[in-house]
Amino acid sequence: MDAPELERIPTEAGCELRLRGAWCIDQLPRVDALLVDLEVPHDKEVRVDAAGLTRLDSAGVMILVNRLRAQGVVWSNVRLEHFNSAQMALIHLVADRLDARPRPPRRRYRWRAFARQSGHALGTRLSGQAAFLGRIAEALWDLARRPRLLRHRELVTQLQAVGLAALPIIMLMTFLIGVVFAYLLGVQVQKVGANIFVVDGIGLAVARELSPMLTAILIAGRSGAAFTAQIGAMKVTEEIDAISTMGLSPIQVLVLPRLLAIVLVLPLLTFVGDVMGILGGAVVAASQLDVTYHTFFQRLQAELPVATVLFGLYKAPVFAAAIAFIACRNGFAVTRDARSVGAYTTATVVQSLVAVILINAAFAVLNPDIPR
Amino acid sequence: MNEAVLRADCVRTRLGGEWLHRGVSFAVPRGQVVGLIGASGTGKSVLLRECIGLLRPDEGRVHLFGEDLWSLPLRRLNQVRRRFGVLFQEGALFSSLSVAENVAIPLREHTDLPARLRDELVAMKIRLVGLPMEAAHKRPSALSGGMKKRAALARALVMEPELLFLDEPTSGLDPISAREFDHLLRVLCDSLGLTALIATHDLDTLWGMVDRVIVLYGGQVVADGPVPEVAAGEHEWIRSYFAAHVKERG
Repeated sequence: MDAPELERIPTEAGCELRLRGAWCIDQLPRVDALLVDLEVPHDKEVRVDAAGLTRLDSAGVMILVNRLRAQGVVWSNVRLEHFNSAQMALIHLVADRLDARPRPPRRRYRWRAFARQSGHALGTRLSGQAAFLGRIAEALWDLARRPRLLRHRELVTQLQAVGLAALPIIMLMTFLIGVVFAYLLGVQVQKVGANIFVVDGIGLAVARELSPMLTAILIAGRSGAAFTAQIGAMKVTEEIDAISTMGLSPIQVLVLPRLLAIVLVLPLLTFVGDVMGILGGAVVAASQLDVTYHTFFQRLQAELPVATVLFGLYKAPVFAAAIAFIACRNGFAVTRDARSVGAYTTATVVQSLVAVILINAAFAVLNPDIPR
Repeated sequence: MNEAVLRADCVRTRLGGEWLHRGVSFAVPRGQVVGLIGASGTGKSVLLRECIGLLRPDEGRVHLFGEDLWSLPLRRLNQVRRRFGVLFQEGALFSSLSVAENVAIPLREHTDLPARLRDELVAMKIRLVGLPMEAAHKRPSALSGGMKKRAALARALVMEPELLFLDEPTSGLDPISAREFDHLLRVLCDSLGLTALIATHDLDTLWGMVDRVIVLYGGQVVADGPVPEVAAGEHEWIRSYFAAHVKERG
């Protein structure tokens, strides 16, 4: 492509600019350099001659018009010569649209405004959370009075998605945790020759802490994220508005089946996790610590009180409710742009993990006694 | 100057086990604004996607600027892609960026212009499509339908394309905005010397701003010519398509 060139010829009346080559977007920096230092008398006649011009596009016209104007030249007084009709049309269009270009205001960062906005955002967020909690409570009350409102099909679908589909991963993870925990504990108790005490340790740890926590964390990552993404996508495609305009409650249709499903399923999964974790421990005990399966389960029966197992299972529905609440609330908060669904799904996973760990800590602090 | 900028040769497309296009052929010479019409489901959008290199036709060829689009290696294909602009039906503006940032993307990716020149160009394109400068710093979600289309048009035009593809440019606009948008398109096509292929349902667009119309029916081109000629044709679907409007115009 021919490089753009410019020749300035003084005439009696003023000056003439001869354009040559391609004045187009690929050559824009060069075009700009040609014009930026050019001295053009703004009170005399300016002629622009296009006899040698090979290509011209709107970017080239823009530079020509803007730079001449910056020198104080009145564009309507510029005489254009040897432009063809298409180029003239282009020049007129661009020059016409370009006049009086105000600079966009620079954005300033103001700490005070920032603080006020953040405070305001936090306030609306908290009141939004409270309102959402209220709507769920209201829907639950309606459901309790009229059980026919329950959406069986959706509930069963969710039970399958949250519970059955998660079963393999939960079994595998808790089994592995049981194996690792028994192995590490075994190394310690072997030193004092107290191999049999590995049973007490595994039973307590798995049933009270490991299985409930691990299951809740897996479900928060798996189903919590799914809830937010599903509800968020429905929000984007206006499906939630459609549900409302049909006279149905989106909470009743979307949130309650998910909430009930996860609250029902999490204790069951936790129990499966208990069994698998202890099984993992038993395998290690039998193969590494000379504790036979028979001895292991006899000792377990004697040393692991039902109250400990139940304590672990009691925590599960509370975790579940927190996960469902956070996930659904974030799903409804999604706005109609592409990044929003991803951002809120991330928020769900982070918030629900934090919530699970805080709730677990609260349980531990409030019930410090380990039943014997 | 009269070579065909876009040429489709016997394009055949199979979709969901059925032939959607059974040999579609047409050519668009430089500087012409061509409308593409057809009933819903006749594959206008699919044909458009085949012309811009998003979907490979099962048989047949598409030539853009004299190059066989589907036999080009990816690097060459992307070079060809820089020579045309596309206006998608919903605008397809990136929702997390402001209008000005949206318009600046092709410049950032394909040129190494200094930021000052880039901003100047972006501002010019935004004014060229008739948007107020206040709109430049808004997100697409804060714009009306007509403004979104204009912003998308500014983005399609920013690399100075020679060819423009438009998928239903006036859908979802009120008649007044649609007419304004048609007018803007025509002015821009004439002044910037653009060639355009417009898939549309809008009869006003057809009568108002198109040089030629191609009718897609039953997987084939059943009519191709200036709008009054095509509207006066014998084909049954075309007659009922234009019927209401012809009556209205007397």
